[in-house]
Amino acid sequence: MTSICFYFQVHQPFRIRNYSFFDIGRSDQYEDDQKNEEILNKVAEKCYLKTNRKMLELIQRHNGKFRICYSLSGTVIEQFEKYRPDVLQSFIDLANTGCVEFLAETYSHSLSFVYSKKEFVRQVKKHGAIIKKHFNQEPKVFRNTELIFNNELAVFMEQMGYKGVICEGVDRLLNGRSPNYLYKPVGAPKTKLLLKNHLLSDDIAFRFSDQGWKEFPLTANKFATWVHSVAGQGETINLFMDYETFGEHQWESTGIFNFLDHLPAEIFKHPDFDFKTPSEVIDTYPTRDTYDAHDFISWADTERDLSAWLSNSMQHEALKQIYSIEETVMNCGDPDLLRTWERLTTSDHFYYMCTKFWNDGDVHKYFSPYDSPYDAYMFFMNVFSDLECKLNDLKEATAATEALMKANQISLDLPVEANGTLEEVSPYNALMFFSNIYNEWEHKIKNSLNPDQVSLDFSTEVSNEEKDEEISDLKLAI
Amino acid sequence: MHNSVKNREEKFRFQKKFQGEKIKMRENLPKVLMLGWEFPPLINGGLGVACHDLSSAMSNFANITMVVPKSSLDFKTKNVNLIGINNIDPNAFSSHNKGNTPFTLHSVPADLNPYYTSTTDASATDKPGEGKKNANPFDIDNLYGGDVIKKVHQYSDITASLASTLNFDVIHAHDWMTMIAGMKIKQQTGKPLVVHVHSLEVDRSGPDSKGWVYDLEKKGMEYADMLMPVSNFTAENIYKYYGIDKQKMSVIHNGSTSVKSYQSKRNYKEKTVLFVGRLTRQKGPERFLEIAAKVLEKDPNVRFVMAGTGDYFRSMLEQSSYKNIGNRFHLTGFLNAEKLHYLFSVSDVYCMPSVSEPFGLSAVEAAHFGIPCVISKQSGVAEVLKGALTFDHWDINKAASHILSLLNDSVFKNKIVNDARENLDNITWDISAQKIMNAYSSRNFI
Repeated sequence: MTSICFYFQVHQPFRIRNYSFFDIGRSDQYEDDQKNEEILNKVAEKCYLKTNRKMLELIQRHNGKFRICYSLSGTVIEQFEKYRPDVLQSFIDLANTGCVEFLAETYSHSLSFVYSKKEFVRQVKKHGAIIKKHFNQEPKVFRNTELIFNNELAVFMEQMGYKGVICEGVDRLLNGRSPNYLYKPVGAPKTKLLLKNHLLSDDIAFRFSDQGWKEFPLTANKFATWVHSVAGQGETINLFMDYETFGEHQWESTGIFNFLDHLPAEIFKHPDFDFKTPSEVIDTYPTRDTYDAHDFISWADTERDLSAWLSNSMQHEALKQIYSIEETVMNCGDPDLLRTWERLTTSDHFYYMCTKFWNDGDVHKYFSPYDSPYDAYMFFMNVFSDLECKLNDLKEATAATEALMKANQISLDLPVEANGTLEEVSPYNALMFFSNIYNEWEHKIKNSLNPDQVSLDFSTEVSNEEKDEEISDLKLAI
Repeated sequence: MHNSVKNREEKFRFQKKFQGEKIKMRENLPKVLMLGWEFPPLINGGLGVACHDLSSAMSNFANITMVVPKSSLDFKTKNVNLIGINNIDPNAFSSHNKGNTPFTLHSVPADLNPYYTSTTDASATDKPGEGKKNANPFDIDNLYGGDVIKKVHQYSDITASLASTLNFDVIHAHDWMTMIAGMKIKQQTGKPLVVHVHSLEVDRSGPDSKGWVYDLEKKGMEYADMLMPVSNFTAENIYKYYGIDKQKMSVIHNGSTSVKSYQSKRNYKEKTVLFVGRLTRQKGPERFLEIAAKVLEKDPNVRFVMAGTGDYFRSMLEQSSYKNIGNRFHLTGFLNAEKLHYLFSVSDVYCMPSVSEPFGLSAVEAAHFGIPCVISKQSGVAEVLKGALTFDHWDINKAASHILSLLNDSVFKNKIVNDARENLDNITWDISAQKIMNAYSSRNFI
């Protein structure tokens, strides 16, 4: 038996606007809401809704034998919630068929595994929670942003309890071996790896409408023949691609939906072929060999490495800076700032800064909302600078409040949620509260000739003598 | 070049109307024919400002006729008879009037860009709303794009023809773009030619520069009866690189028009060091970056802002990221006057690390805003703005320590600012205009 394993990536970033130097310290509006909404609406109409309808139809037509898998980033789910709940519902409908699996990934489609394991864990957990919430599934198979993978990731995911990881079948690592089997990574004996068959995947994702390609036009029948030729020499053919392939990268006029419509039937013409989701593949087949990815690999560009996000100094600087404030953001207790920072870790921002200008450059350019990688960097760093200012302001306010609380022996033991979501009663709210009181005190004391006349109109259980003591302490401090 | 008949008729009509509004000649004052290139509304840098302000100041002492590539009714200058040759029909003059240069200049079409080197990055140069239009000769919006040499020739042909209909005592040409016209007019009228030198090819392209523009500058300055460099620094360069006798030169420092300065509150906490200028080799943008990195080593709470654009734009972003100061080093792109003034109003130090700066008007502007200036010794403005800290453009450490002192020592800073304020009284266009008139009469031009 040979299984076709389809996995589709669904992701949209929160693109940042042309945020100039003059906006620093003045504008909280980092994201280009209008553009983000426009693009989401466009892709929803051209791809998501149409393709989801087709997938649902195919699942029903083939009585559940057509099975697929998605990975939805947290940011795209947030955008669905905000702009297109109908699209989210259509994914939920698909989930309800029982024939669709959802994978785990980082919440903001970030490079956190490369920069901060702590943040990585937080994002994976947060993503797991939102998948559970909407699709009632607990992902068991992990795919990292843009299939970024190395041995360490496999070990890490095994420790986090995942049974498999999706990655790219890189020719230089396969070294002549077939990607059509399950492999085991180095150092993680219980983990199984699904390797993307990049030839067959890219035939659909990139070459489908290429009129210069000698196989053009690609029909479902022709594609099925290629798939069937694997019979006896493979157990899983992993077709991994961006979901936007359908209707967006390959427009409807190219016949992509027609191709999709006929594909399952054509595949089923050979009795030894079926469709399976990644979990089913992992449960069905054994690993056949070791896949040793010492260095990072990915599915991006022809290099299949990190260079799409990390090849020039601007990308390095932007990434280094954004992760340098992680600790501060986590401790600031402001859920809005945390969310803003999290969205800034989205890998797309760094992808837009890529200056590799050959064939791959075209792809970078196609996706970029900016005129050049330099603009992308400039606007990102301006936004970063503003965020940095906000954090510094908050830090100073915190320090002042702490000093005040210390002087008054008020302790601030409020619960901090560990899973990345912050409850309403956050240290930040408490901080605001105390800082208001502090300002009031400061004002009164400064304006008062006789400190004894300062009246305190907030209710803490302290005696009058203690109050007087505090006031004089405070006076000394000021 | 042949416009449609209708267009031509319109132009004639415009010309008549325009000449009808001609400024009344004051017979008791000398008559100066000025040849300019940049002029409002077409301004790329300091040259346009200088020509406008200078001609305006000189109009108190002389009848000024200013011929520029493009004029607009929105930008009339009081008492200056402004002629934009975009409003003139070249065919209105017979060909024998077009004048000859005293020597042959061979030229090939060239996309020469002397003041502004564009990058291929459309975003860096063309911000929305400032898009380039396809420039037809003398229906132009782009002084330096396309075949600039062709534009220069057309300008000189038309201007020379026009000059034969005008009455003047002196020809006063600004920079190389108008030199051919100046030479032709001198050739055909015998009037004295004064060349006002705002900028040299050796400033823009380095001391080893050679080529058509250099040759033209050399020949033009040799043929001129008098040179008016904007600084001793430039006079020295003319002598050193063009071999022209200093006896022929009369240094006329630029003036400055006081702007309505104001102070604004910054939106962020960090102190700000400002650079204003084209991002080209001449202005030393890389030096500014190195200075920034040096200062930030000692004090991370400073922001460095570069206002302007040019062929170093991308390189500045890359290099600042390479030095890991991306969150403290900001580029704004090209700014209009309003934004620029705002930037002055929030800045704490102005830094001009030019490699070779004939004058440097922006430093004077900074002084008007009460910002202390740290400027390179290789600049003309250092000769008149004594209330400024100077450094050799290669001396990064010195510049950085100057900046740190100014940022941290308010007494010192106030001293510099006040000294500069006093200097400003002597940096006016009236003084420059007066000096020019004196220079004219010292040679009996008027």
